Amino acid sequence: MKMPRGLIRLIVAATAGLLFFLPIWWITVGALRPREDIFRYLSPLSWETLWPTNATLNNIIQLFQGDFTRALFNSVFVTVVAVVIGLILCAMAGFALAVMRFRGREAVFFVVVVSFLIPFDAIALPLFGLMLDAGLQNTYIGLILPGIGNGLAVFLYRQFFLGIPKELREAGVIDGMTTFGIFWRIYLPLSLPAHITAGLILFLFQWQAYLWPLLIAPDTDYKVAAVAIAQFTDNIEGTQYNLIFTAAFFIALIPMILITYFQKYFTASVSSLGGKG
Amino acid sequence: MRLANPMTLLVFLGPTLLLLIVLRLWPAMAALVDSLYAPRADQISLDNYVFIFSDPVFQDSLVVSAIYSLIVNPLQIAIALMLALLLNAKGPLIGLWRTLILLPAAVPLSVSAVIWGIGLRPDGPINALLMTLGLEPQRFLTSPDQALGSIILIVSWVGIGYWMTFLLAGLQEIPKSLYEAIRIDGANRWQTFRYVTLPQLRRTLTFVLVANTVANFLVFAPVQILTQGGPRGSTNLVMNEIFTLGFVQGDRSSAAAATVVLVTVVLVVVLIQFRLMQAPEDNAA
Repeated sequence: MKMPRGLIRLIVAATAGLLFFLPIWWITVGALRPREDIFRYLSPLSWETLWPTNATLNNIIQLFQGDFTRALFNSVFVTVVAVVIGLILCAMAGFALAVMRFRGREAVFFVVVVSFLIPFDAIALPLFGLMLDAGLQNTYIGLILPGIGNGLAVFLYRQFFLGIPKELREAGVIDGMTTFGIFWRIYLPLSLPAHITAGLILFLFQWQAYLWPLLIAPDTDYKVAAVAIAQFTDNIEGTQYNLIFTAAFFIALIPMILITYFQKYFTASVSSLGGKG
Repeated sequence: MRLANPMTLLVFLGPTLLLLIVLRLWPAMAALVDSLYAPRADQISLDNYVFIFSDPVFQDSLVVSAIYSLIVNPLQIAIALMLALLLNAKGPLIGLWRTLILLPAAVPLSVSAVIWGIGLRPDGPINALLMTLGLEPQRFLTSPDQALGSIILIVSWVGIGYWMTFLLAGLQEIPKSLYEAIRIDGANRWQTFRYVTLPQLRRTLTFVLVANTVANFLVFAPVQILTQGGPRGSTNLVMNEIFTLGFVQGDRSSAAAATVVLVTVVLVVVLIQFRLMQAPEDNAA
């Protein structure tokens, strides 16, 4: 008997979806499971391998009594600051490049493009040398600064602002608005998709970063969550896998919520990258 | 139109321009300058480049990176494209399957590394599954033959869903009329893919291929967390080698030279992308 094409499609799609989701489910189960149960239901495999039969919230309580609380706070703090300041500064720069007339505009645009063609991680080590000399190791400034000036976000804003009809701007001028007023009251409110896409870019850059915070903020007071999870120290009974799962759950949860919610903005950058500048 | 007021311009553009120059361009220039001065030398030379390129560890790291790139990029893009084609059609719960595949893209690579590191332990769940299926347990990250493959798995779990969303967006931009036209001409599924989907998707595919290639050149967290380049150098990707040179061994000059090599390779790959994206036949479509 021949199966209908739609059914085969559904089976393949569902299988792929569940396979990709399985490790996330495993993280969640591990976060809810007492420590002695983490490797308990592996031989033989059973339904209990993927279901927390003795579910407990003790891991969460224990995790947040330790250094991880500080690390998660650091991650949230530097990410929020970097996204808020970064959005404002990148939007302003994008506005200048899209709207203002000035000499050397091509040169500035070139700097913006080159700055996002050089991947940040590739120059992290020489930058670390410079920041070390400037005394910025183990500071929030050192953690945040590279996340604020983002060439891709500037580029995105410029492309978006170019699409806003200049008649609106001219009307603003006639109404006696200042340049800043036109930017703040006309351009920013019209640019929600650009804010979300640029915001996601800045957010993911800061939240997912590993190499840079590993170099610039090794101190417990400034360590971020993505670094802390790789350095969970063992206690007398060995590695605390239950706490690692719980930490992984919290680090992954926030970006998962944002990405799911803003899915369609996630790829909006491609069309602007491919489009004529 | 009149020129902008210099003060206003400075306020709008100044901070970001300063950040980009100081935090992106300056370190790149600093690396270039550092790379031209051998340790304790006061004259410009290519000694550091000669040194790293004759260093067997650095050579091996380039070979490992090349092998890794040649496997991971086609693999991720092929799977991402197949999933995008599969999930572009209408079907029951299609949004759910899409979201489930995208979710791992939200997981930081360091977290993926830690979790898969536990999953791939000799007594971990992957081996438990293999044994349940009657197969031999594997060594994964502790085997020189399997460690790079394990890193590829860890990176791809995060990457495939991410690149799939770009390809899905590209697929959805293809005009329906093109599909109708070729159907009237009596084309089969393969011909439709070959003569409509693939050429129309070329721009997106080029972008994904290049962005993915660059991202994979920079993979670092899983290597540093799980293998430190081992066993026997089998996972010593170039970013880990630069980190080891500069941060662990404190050899700034060699690290700077290696950084310049990496940035140059990245820029060349990106420039090739621009050439491909602006190819003339693209405008005809």
